[in-house]
Amino acid sequence: MLLLKLAFRNIFRQRRRSLLTAISMAGGYILCTFSFSLSEGSYNNAISFFTLDHTGHVQIHKEDYLQRPKIHKTIDDPEQLSEILDSREDIAAHTLRVFAPGIAYSDTDNSPAQIIGVDLERERTTSTLEQKVSSGSYIGSDLDSDGYYSAMIGAGLANSLNIGLGDELILISQGADGSVANDIYIVNGIIGNRDSPDRNTVFLPLVAAQEFLSMYGRVHEVSILLNDEGDSRSEASLLQEELQDLSVAPWQVVESTFYQSMQTDKQGNNFSMGVIVFLVFVGVLNTVLMSVLERTREFGVLKAIGSRPTKIALMITLETGLLASLSVLMGLLISLPLIGWFTAVGFELAQPMDVGGIVMSHMTGEMSFYVFAIPLALIVLFALLISIPTGIRAARISPTEAMRST
Amino acid sequence: MTAVISTNEVCRYFGDEEETMVKAVDRVSIEIERGEFTAIVGPSGSGKTTLLHLIGGLDNPTSGSVELSGTNIAEMSGAILSDFRRDHIGFIFQSYNLIPVFSAEENIEYIMLLQGVEASERKRRVAEMLEQVGLEGLGSRRPNKLSGGQQQRVAIARAMVSHPEIILADEPTANLDSKTGIALLDLMKELNEKHNMTFVFSTHDDKIMTRAGRLIHMMDGEIESDEVK
Ligand SMILES: Nc1ncnc2c1ncn2[C@@H]1O[C@H](COP(=O)(O)OP(=O)(O)OP(=O)(O)O)[C@@H](O)[C@H]1O
Ligand SMILES: [Mg+2]
Repeated sequence: MLLLKLAFRNIFRQRRRSLLTAISMAGGYILCTFSFSLSEGSYNNAISFFTLDHTGHVQIHKEDYLQRPKIHKTIDDPEQLSEILDSREDIAAHTLRVFAPGIAYSDTDNSPAQIIGVDLERERTTSTLEQKVSSGSYIGSDLDSDGYYSAMIGAGLANSLNIGLGDELILISQGADGSVANDIYIVNGIIGNRDSPDRNTVFLPLVAAQEFLSMYGRVHEVSILLNDEGDSRSEASLLQEELQDLSVAPWQVVESTFYQSMQTDKQGNNFSMGVIVFLVFVGVLNTVLMSVLERTREFGVLKAIGSRPTKIALMITLETGLLASLSVLMGLLISLPLIGWFTAVGFELAQPMDVGGIVMSHMTGEMSFYVFAIPLALIVLFALLISIPTGIRAARISPTEAMRST
Repeated sequence: MTAVISTNEVCRYFGDEEETMVKAVDRVSIEIERGEFTAIVGPSGSGKTTLLHLIGGLDNPTSGSVELSGTNIAEMSGAILSDFRRDHIGFIFQSYNLIPVFSAEENIEYIMLLQGVEASERKRRVAEMLEQVGLEGLGSRRPNKLSGGQQQRVAIARAMVSHPEIILADEPTANLDSKTGIALLDLMKELNEKHNMTFVFSTHDDKIMTRAGRLIHMMDGEIESDEVK
């Protein structure tokens, strides 16, 4: 107890120096938590943006469809697969899709288009397609009274074909059997705006697309939403074991370009965190060394009157640990509300920022145990690391030498 | 009866080379009995401090041995030596050397804390010591709020509170004016008689040395004379 009191008073003995060290540790801590929170936050935003937009957390395809999409690489029994997926606890929702490139015609114009057939009911709970309808409505999968299916088209396509709600859309593509596919659809919904990634996409009801492409009952892609994004990899490998003849991939594989650039970016962040911690480290080292050097005589006396060497070393460690803990606590008091605000409210960027290929104009942070705990552990650990050799040095001071130095 | 302090041909040389070697203490053999009040005197550089440090186990002899109550302290090191000093030897230094961040009371209490003495007992003994050295009511002051004489009284209390057999004091009065110094020495003498503790102190001061029961004169590391009054 007296040792703790001694450590405490020794910290307050050099108020200015201790305060400066404390500020550098607290400041370093705040910077670390903030940059950690920012990086986690913006990546988590980006991840949830595209996983919810269309990717999902896990995808299933036939063979290497992901790398080399070919119309004949199909999942042949999607209904049975759906049953399996519906029965799994970790899976929140899933949807079925078919894809084909095509050309879209109106009376006056034509334009290349990406044709996607989706299970409209399942898509609702799996992706944000429904929220992206900017005019008209989210279509149904029934034929209208004239025998036409409905379609939703990207705003860019609507513009270049010069068509709108209620107009006819003609699609031409190649069917799975090699035949020429062509049919007429009625535009009942417009998706997004002219800058959206889906600006040249045509969304059809799954049955309509399967009919159009002569691939009855088959699909190209199953996109799965999990209850917890963090389970993506493990769930993917579990599913892969069960579905031997299909390819299961977590979003990290599906969006590998994004994932790679995120990892590189995070390494950059870790590096800058390392630099901050190093600067703090140098400051603490300086303080601890100074305070030991100028107290050589005192340590000599403490040893002379019977303090064990280990006690002296412990005293230095205790002092440093106490100062580091107090500083980090001070930092925590500031960073907690700061990051709370940053997570809840965030701020608008003057200039939109590219986060691994996704452009974001609003930044929010991430508030998690790790955001606070990792920088805390790093700083306290480094401070203690410094104190150990310094403490040993103080413990080795010879009382006679110490007494001679004035 | 074995002597409390017994040195046998103890030497402490500094430096390795023949020409530059300093024989700070050279073949000193002395026996000091329990309860003696001994002064080590001699000119500056004669080896007084070095001898006291050898006796106190702060320094290791180049050759020869130091036995305290029959125990050869050269055979001890690290924590064992620390504990031995804590339990058997009290130190008083020329420049007081109190812990500046501790109050007078806490300075006195510290050694008992290292010894694991119970809190109530510590409190009792601190109060008793403060009274014996005449510092009642000043216990809560930090060293920088005490005069030199008062600080040295705290140092005496600190050295004596754990009831060591031996108190070693290196020029305890050198930083004090002569009146305060004499008063302090009288206090030491009084405590020496009362508790039958063995005191060994060094000094330059003629007025101080006359109060010693035994005078050991040193010169160039050797004992020049040893007189018991
Ligand atoms: N660590 C050391 N290294 C080298 N020489 C030393 C060391 N310690 C002491 N000496 C030398 O040993 C001799 C005795 O020194 P010591 O301090 O014991 O003398 P002293 O009698 O206490 O002197 P003073 O009255 O000035 O305190 C001196 O010549 C001193 O220079
Ligand atoms: Mg001396």
